[in-house]
Amino acid sequence: MAALSRRRDWTLLILLAPALVYFLVYHLIPIGGMVMAFQDYRIIGKSPFVGLKHFKMLFASPAFMQVLVNTLIISFMKIVLFFPLPIVFALMLNEVRTSFLRKFIQSTTYLPHFLSWVVIAGIWIAFLSPSSGGANQLRGLFGLPPRDYMTDKSAIRWVLFASETWRSLGWDSIIYLAALTSISPSLYESADLDGAGALQKMRFITLPELLPTMVTVFILNMGFFLNAGFDQVFNMMNDSVISVVDILDTYVYRIGLLNMQYSFSTAASLFKGAIGLVLILAAHQGSRRITGKGLW
Amino acid sequence: MRTPASELFWRWCFITLLLCTCVVVVPLLNVLALSLSDPARVSEVRGLTVFPKGFSLVNYRVLLANPLFMRSILNSVFITVVGTALNLLVTSMAAFALTRPKLPFKRFFMILIIVVMILEPALVTEYLVVKKIGLMGSLWAVILYKTVNVYYLIILMRYFEEIPPSLIEAAQVDGASNMTVLKNIVLPLSKPALATLGLFYGVFHWNEYFRASIYLTDPMKYPLQLILRQFVVLDDTASLIGSGALFSYDEAARLSYDALQASTIIVAILPVLIIYPLILKYYARGVMEGGVKE
Repeated sequence: MAALSRRRDWTLLILLAPALVYFLVYHLIPIGGMVMAFQDYRIIGKSPFVGLKHFKMLFASPAFMQVLVNTLIISFMKIVLFFPLPIVFALMLNEVRTSFLRKFIQSTTYLPHFLSWVVIAGIWIAFLSPSSGGANQLRGLFGLPPRDYMTDKSAIRWVLFASETWRSLGWDSIIYLAALTSISPSLYESADLDGAGALQKMRFITLPELLPTMVTVFILNMGFFLNAGFDQVFNMMNDSVISVVDILDTYVYRIGLLNMQYSFSTAASLFKGAIGLVLILAAHQGSRRITGKGLW
Repeated sequence: MRTPASELFWRWCFITLLLCTCVVVVPLLNVLALSLSDPARVSEVRGLTVFPKGFSLVNYRVLLANPLFMRSILNSVFITVVGTALNLLVTSMAAFALTRPKLPFKRFFMILIIVVMILEPALVTEYLVVKKIGLMGSLWAVILYKTVNVYYLIILMRYFEEIPPSLIEAAQVDGASNMTVLKNIVLPLSKPALATLGLFYGVFHWNEYFRASIYLTDPMKYPLQLILRQFVVLDDTASLIGSGALFSYDEAARLSYDALQASTIIVAILPVLIIYPLILKYYARGVMEGGVKE
């Protein structure tokens, strides 16, 4: 029996085969193909190696530097500034005792997470419209002149932040809500006996109990810092604001698939992938060290 | 056990929560109101209007009578149904194989999965591979590019690992093949996990537009989200009006763009709304009712 269970079962490879073919075709071969960042890609014939030519062009390009700055700023807003909001949301929701109301608020605020960015952009463009949008109707109530947020360079990044919050505030609070409900009630009961107030309970019980979850979420997000949300930016940008919202992924798309500078675009992807890899590995290590659990 | 001061504080918190809820709901209801309003009264619908002015289904009737629009719905349904079925099949087969101790080269495959998870191929090289294997212009290019979501694969593997090995071994001693064990023992025990993943894969396919925009060339193959992007986000009405396009000149003159755009948005949201209760049931309910479940 022992010998039998140690024997390898080759028929299992048949079950694994479709997934392997997929990984090979859509992941491994394209990753290997990224060697063309060091070549001048030719559709017919051999592509000659050109060393770091495309990378030098990339770093000498003011457009790319602007894209990099945009990516960092937008990511900072969506990861660091946004970070406390779902925690506060979960803390408030946790205090709603009426089951019906609680479920209503949850079911409503989780919904936008499942809408595509195409839909959300459509709704937001309408909502922010200077002529008929709800935002400007509200401004009107306060006697303010209408403002065209979507084409305003000083406002558009905040539009990205606000629409990201609109989409993710509810959904991202789930993990904290789960952590809150798993805190043992006996902790609060003994605090009550000691005469602790609401603030003290928050500071000495709730927040410390939430800390591991906060750390995990934060570190995980840091691993994807260079992403900044392609679908959102792609659907919300326009010619008036492209200079302040163009991020790495939209840039790679434009120069690669629209301008067909295949090797140059791949160089930008490779740059992003290399930094991203370092960030993810750091996040993995950091998470393992602080919470004992890595990303995989 | 709340003091009057903290009672007041929590009341303000509750008002904040209701405000958040309104911020989510009002723009959605506004789009719905616009789509259902009487075309003659559309100008009365302002940004914060949540009830339709008058009532008319004419926008929907125009959309549904349109070949390009109808076709895009069929394309989206095809992509979603076939894509999700394929996702579940391939993901569960792989998750089963990867959780068997007898799998040859198991360590190698586990490393491969981590590599796939942390290395992202360049958009250009993926595009060139799709071109090379001849999928350009085909709905299959849109369906296949995310056949296995590695994160979902890992979730399913964790789920499969919870199944008592004795159940599987007993069947294997009776001579059951791997496929039989998967089909008759593992999958029936994993229905909640498969339902959750199926819903997430399904929403992903329904919402897909970007791969469709780079891999498809024939507008009659476009999924709904891509039509929506062209019509609503890019406001590219010119290419959608005229013979064989989304609207005839006659319709364009008679109806409001805003209302037609709103109706398109609603049609794109509707399937998500229909399955949304299921998502809450399978995924979020554990959290909503207090239990923690992954």
